[in-house]
Amino acid sequence: MMLARVADSLYWMGRYVERAEHMCRLSDVMLNATLDRSDAATQVARIVLAAVGDNDSGKARSPYDAARSLALDRGDGGSITASLSRARENARQVRDQITTETWERLNLIYLRVTGPGAAKAFDDGSSAFLHDIIADLHLFRGAADATMSHGEGWRFLMLGMYLERAQLNGRLLEVFFGDARKRPITDHFALTSLLRMSCALEPYLRRYTADVRPELILEFLMFDEDFPRSIRFSTARIEEHLSAASRYVDAAHAGPERLAGRLKARLQYADVENIELGGAGALLTTVLDECAAIHTAIYDTFVAYSLEMRLPA
Amino acid sequence: MATAKRSDTSAIETSDGAIPYDEMLTLAGEVRSHYTGLDERIATLASADMAERQRTLERFFLLQGITFTVYGAESSTERIIPTDLLPRIIPAEEWATIEKGLTQRLRALNMFLADIYGEQQILMDGVVPRELVLMAPSYRREMQNLYVPHQAYANVCGSDLIRQPDGAFAVLEDNLRVPSGVSYMLANREASKRTFPGTFRASNVRAIDRYPDLLLSTLKGMAADWRPNPQVVVLTPGVYNSAYYEHAYLARLMGCPLVEGRDLVVHDNMVYMRTTTGLRRIDVIYRRVDDDFIDPLTFRRDSGLGVAGLFNAYRAGNVVICNAPGTGVADDKAVYAYVPEIIKYYLGEEAILPNIETFLCREPAQLSHVLSNLDKLVVKAVGASGGYGMLIGPHASAKERSEFADALRADPANYIAQPTIQLSTAPCLIDGEIDPRHVDLRPFILSGEKITVTPGALTRVALKKGSLVVNSSQGGGSKDTWILAGETEEPQP
Repeated sequence: MMLARVADSLYWMGRYVERAEHMCRLSDVMLNATLDRSDAATQVARIVLAAVGDNDSGKARSPYDAARSLALDRGDGGSITASLSRARENARQVRDQITTETWERLNLIYLRVTGPGAAKAFDDGSSAFLHDIIADLHLFRGAADATMSHGEGWRFLMLGMYLERAQLNGRLLEVFFGDARKRPITDHFALTSLLRMSCALEPYLRRYTADVRPELILEFLMFDEDFPRSIRFSTARIEEHLSAASRYVDAAHAGPERLAGRLKARLQYADVENIELGGAGALLTTVLDECAAIHTAIYDTFVAYSLEMRLPA
Repeated sequence: MATAKRSDTSAIETSDGAIPYDEMLTLAGEVRSHYTGLDERIATLASADMAERQRTLERFFLLQGITFTVYGAESSTERIIPTDLLPRIIPAEEWATIEKGLTQRLRALNMFLADIYGEQQILMDGVVPRELVLMAPSYRREMQNLYVPHQAYANVCGSDLIRQPDGAFAVLEDNLRVPSGVSYMLANREASKRTFPGTFRASNVRAIDRYPDLLLSTLKGMAADWRPNPQVVVLTPGVYNSAYYEHAYLARLMGCPLVEGRDLVVHDNMVYMRTTTGLRRIDVIYRRVDDDFIDPLTFRRDSGLGVAGLFNAYRAGNVVICNAPGTGVADDKAVYAYVPEIIKYYLGEEAILPNIETFLCREPAQLSHVLSNLDKLVVKAVGASGGYGMLIGPHASAKERSEFADALRADPANYIAQPTIQLSTAPCLIDGEIDPRHVDLRPFILSGEKITVTPGALTRVALKKGSLVVNSSQGGGSKDTWILAGETEEPQP
């Protein structure tokens, strides 16, 4: 049993932390690409901007400015700084529900990225700046994992993280592989950049060796059972945490659990061998739609339910 | 490297020539015996080392999020409440008097509240003027004849004490509404344990970490008669309230949900909170929201901080609100003047802790005395708090005094006056030097089935040299307060 508002805050805290980490990788890869003046680098920058939903303004700004704004612009709702501020604001709302260790980690990152030295630190060495945020976010996850009770509140935190992860990576894959009319991207630099954005380069190489091919990347990022950023892995965790959270409510209200089970099965039992690159788009659209439906169902069941249904007799 | 040294002027001169009591030094400049341990420790520390410790302390507060937010146009910044490194130390025998005095005071004040919201015997006997109580804005007629368990109206009280030049403590005001500061007491203790571990261990300081525990059992005790295992919650106005950190801190340490008005629902005169698994009944609300805002149906209609119907649920006896609404009438600045009489009336005892001499401007004779002595007095508006709406006569300009005199004549009943109070001074670390600053003392008293005085307090510091205003809203800070265990007591484990 926990306050609906608290569950809501923990859920969003998870989402914003995940978003911040994802945006760190995206801007790092993009900045890395700007060092190179090749066509592929321009293509990578375009892909990143498309993945963060920033198609138009990309034309006006240089990739460096775009990456800088993605990192530091508090006015841009999707930026790293904005995501961390919101994660921390949500943590403050539920300060009584999270452990001091967990809070301290997040508060520390927040104080650093919003502090007066942040812009200079970014300009002095953006890669180190972004790397430090990612490393600190890993410490945050570790502190949360090691000190918080893995009860209901924890489940909502995890739900937020994995739903966000599934949606962000789904969107990234959609940009790469979603449009069947376009020629598939085969450029080696672009493909390894995609793997880097998903933090998947090393695990991929271990699984498939240095044979970097689009269909193998798609297979890995969508269907790998063990890689923590694959869509399949994320949906399995969503299902796991939702069924755990649903243990506390009446069976009559278990809507999101059913949706999550179906999505998990869709990826678990997909006919991987026969999915063509061109056919990935339809499946990705389904995944993203169902993630959105799960989000809505979580709200209807746990947070914004109608009072009439729950008043004592 | 120079060691941190005391500044030459050990005492702060004041306008009327009286030298304030120094917590550490006697008039002859000798270190009082209970301060020797700390004094020796300070003497061994270099200035730079002290400054380093001060920075560590500030970082600890910032990291913990013990901050208040300063909102600006572009962005908001967070500041910590200034905290002084050096603890203020109170010996056991002095504390024993404070403890007895506060227990006595709270017993009497709770009896007073039970009386004025019941038979009103004290008003009929003419001990306290009827109109003074019934016309006070903090008097809540809604509370009339309402049952309050154990007659414990002011479950949590934070009284402000000051030490006079002769060394005796007196009560400056009682805070019976929603007193805050207890989290600073606890956080300051955490910090000073880190800063002076050796001195702390050797000093035999009484522990205060049971406060959340005692608070929870006090709150549970308010509903124990009718609910075997009552559900307690802390009600906060929300994350933008300046004391939000404290609300979250207490909820976390008591293990109770921290709720906002929007989390609560009243149905059939029962109070519920919205949880992930549906509605859950609440029995005790430790509210950190002012009376005016707890229920828009009963009190202020424009309040979004409370919950509609809460007061009716309270009237029906289905939920306990702590502190009870309407307790503010007992810490009204005009009623304050009568507290020694109130103690005598109910307990037949003399007040152990004296009041500060207070002139009620509602009385014509006292008003004319106040008007002709404005340059020596502190005048306060009865309804205001936090250091607002007051005139410090000796520090005010002639123009300010004449403007205030007009306000006084226009609405005399709204003002009281007190002599300029000589707050004692305690050594503080200011820019790497040890320098005395004025301090007060806010102990916390819990009233439920019984009355408990926590053996600790918040010492508030006026950080500006010579200033007597300790409120955090007016540039005040705080420091840890060590209450020493007496010879007879068991040493702390």
